[in-house]
Amino acid sequence: MRSPLTRRGFLAAGSGLAATALPALSGCSSLAASDSDPDTLVVHSQLGTTAPGSATYLRALKRFRAENPGLKVKNLVNGDDLAQVYETARLARKEPDVVMVNLYDKTLAWTDVGATLDVKGHLDDWGLRERVLPQALSAWTDGKGRLRAFPYFATNWPVAYNRALLEKAGVHGIPRTGDELIRAARRLRAHGIAPVTTGGNDWTGQKLLAQIIQTFLTEDEARHAYTTGDFGSRGAREGIAYFVELRDSGVFTDKPQGLTSDSMMTQFHTGKAAIESAMSSALAEVPERVARHTDVGGWPLADGAVHDKPTILRSYTLIGFWISPNGAKKADAVERFIRFMYRPDTVSRFITESGRDMAVRSDSLSTGFPLVAAAQRLGSDVSEVLLPDVFVPPAANQPLITATSTSFTRGTSAARVRAALESAYRSV
Amino acid sequence: MKLGKGWIPAHLLVWGYAVLLIVPLYYFLASAFKSNEEIFAHPFAPPTSLGFDNFVTAFTSAQLGLAVVNSLLVTGLALVLTLALAVPAAFALARSTSRLASAMEKVFSLGFLIPTFAALFPTFLLAAVTGLFHSRTFMVVFLPATAMPLSVVILVQFMRTIPREMEEAARMDGASTFAVLRHIYTPMCLPGIATVLLLNFLTFWNEYLYSLVIIGPDPAQRTVQVALPTLKAITGTDYGVLTAGTVLTLVPVWVVYTVLQRRMQQALVSGAVKM
Repeated sequence: MRSPLTRRGFLAAGSGLAATALPALSGCSSLAASDSDPDTLVVHSQLGTTAPGSATYLRALKRFRAENPGLKVKNLVNGDDLAQVYETARLARKEPDVVMVNLYDKTLAWTDVGATLDVKGHLDDWGLRERVLPQALSAWTDGKGRLRAFPYFATNWPVAYNRALLEKAGVHGIPRTGDELIRAARRLRAHGIAPVTTGGNDWTGQKLLAQIIQTFLTEDEARHAYTTGDFGSRGAREGIAYFVELRDSGVFTDKPQGLTSDSMMTQFHTGKAAIESAMSSALAEVPERVARHTDVGGWPLADGAVHDKPTILRSYTLIGFWISPNGAKKADAVERFIRFMYRPDTVSRFITESGRDMAVRSDSLSTGFPLVAAAQRLGSDVSEVLLPDVFVPPAANQPLITATSTSFTRGTSAARVRAALESAYRSV
Repeated sequence: MKLGKGWIPAHLLVWGYAVLLIVPLYYFLASAFKSNEEIFAHPFAPPTSLGFDNFVTAFTSAQLGLAVVNSLLVTGLALVLTLALAVPAAFALARSTSRLASAMEKVFSLGFLIPTFAALFPTFLLAAVTGLFHSRTFMVVFLPATAMPLSVVILVQFMRTIPREMEEAARMDGASTFAVLRHIYTPMCLPGIATVLLLNFLTFWNEYLYSLVIIGPDPAQRTVQVALPTLKAITGTDYGVLTAGTVLTLVPVWVVYTVLQRRMQQALVSGAVKM
């Protein structure tokens, strides 16, 4: 019996396949990674596909490549999983040179464990200190005086009010107190319009809850509460009670505990809801037909609040340039890249083309994004509260989202909301 | 043949099941042509336009073309390796009557007990130590290892149904062991091989966690399952684009399933008869 495929032929075919395919899959082909190439700067970022600012970032990379013909730049993109991917790459000593990510959750520990480097010296050596807003420098500096990364994106986080819907419901003017907000919510509901929409099942609800609780907290008290998980102070309890009162008065859209940031934005964009608490990248995406009837302001205050004006969140830790140990070996390339990204024309493009708020000084305004520009001009009309991201221990972040969902469920008492928040810190 | 009233519940159940399958598929395809506002405001309304903007955006911004090529490369080579290892292993186990073979078969079955997630860290260490971290080669070698238990168990059962007389006749004609495998067992096990191919293709193609960690985010190397989530942004996802990208990545799955489904159904039916 003669086989068309003999044992010898079979083995030869297998060896041939291994000889041709395996190099193509690992090292010696044009499809291979070049993360260890000294002439290639590897940047790991969340920008590059559809995230706000991606188009501007990709154009900036194109200009940088054109200005530095001898230097190749590889842009690696990840979404929410960036931190995990970076950490495993670092464990294998194959991490990218520069990482662009926010200061939150896992990244809070990076400087401490040596996954990224203190960039304070570079900031001074490269003469970039004056380019950075002082608040941003402070926010990115850890307790030991180390600058975790070069600050880049910031964000304003005001409250957006659809004026047309408010007026349709007979509400004239933006609510400035809790009582006014409750009255406005009743009128909006009577007209079939949801009042405040939020993602009660994700980070948007978590931030709004933190903002409302801070109505009765000073900055130090808020820092203590979100660092330790102790919500037992008088101010924290009053803040939680204020939140519960608003929730049970129907201020929030129906069943917010099941909503996410995407459903929040869609409800606001389609006129289903009149009010949302939105960061500037979300404000930049409000359709023009809604934006022209929208005002930005702060969250209404309750009697006895520690703030004298409605509150907004403001953060300077949205995206920074972290330098890895591998990046330190390519200091010249990293310096050229950071200097380029800090250049006024590059910074200005992010503001004007993408409507981003920056942690770097610039005279530009997001004129093409009226709500972002309006938020930038809020200045002293509002009072700022802390964004808790930098203070919440990484292990408590996800449990806090769960606690947020519980908190937004109607009928949950103030005591149970407090218990849910505090239990989020038990695993810390 | 006249159908009595007794058939009505069966018809209702079948049509109900069909609707259960079709509705999400329709929602999925319709969303690929819509904006976020349309998806959330009128989820089941037909799209107002059939433009391919979402598909173009997904394809270009996530570089899905290159990602599909990478996935095809990794999946294809891993499937070849899986069959190259599983078919001879199953052949040997099916023919042998020794206790050692029986024990080896059980060892293969034990592979089912290892949770995928539990193997992540050792696998990562292995990739780092072998210098294959951030390469597709490691996945080509690793994926067949994960597929061996299922593949061997399925193929052994198929091969045991082949009468020994077939092999004896071939031996009398001077066939070698390899020729017996090549000309007797392999053709008669084609439905089983198709089943193994299809099941493993779906597993390999859809594999995410290990591809993310081991291959990494380099657009030149990443698979389609790693490229696709880059269309999701924490600060606002365009679900039309994301859905369009998902549709694009499902095209190869649909093609492979169409090609192999008859063989697989044949395998399932023949298995049922043999039982």
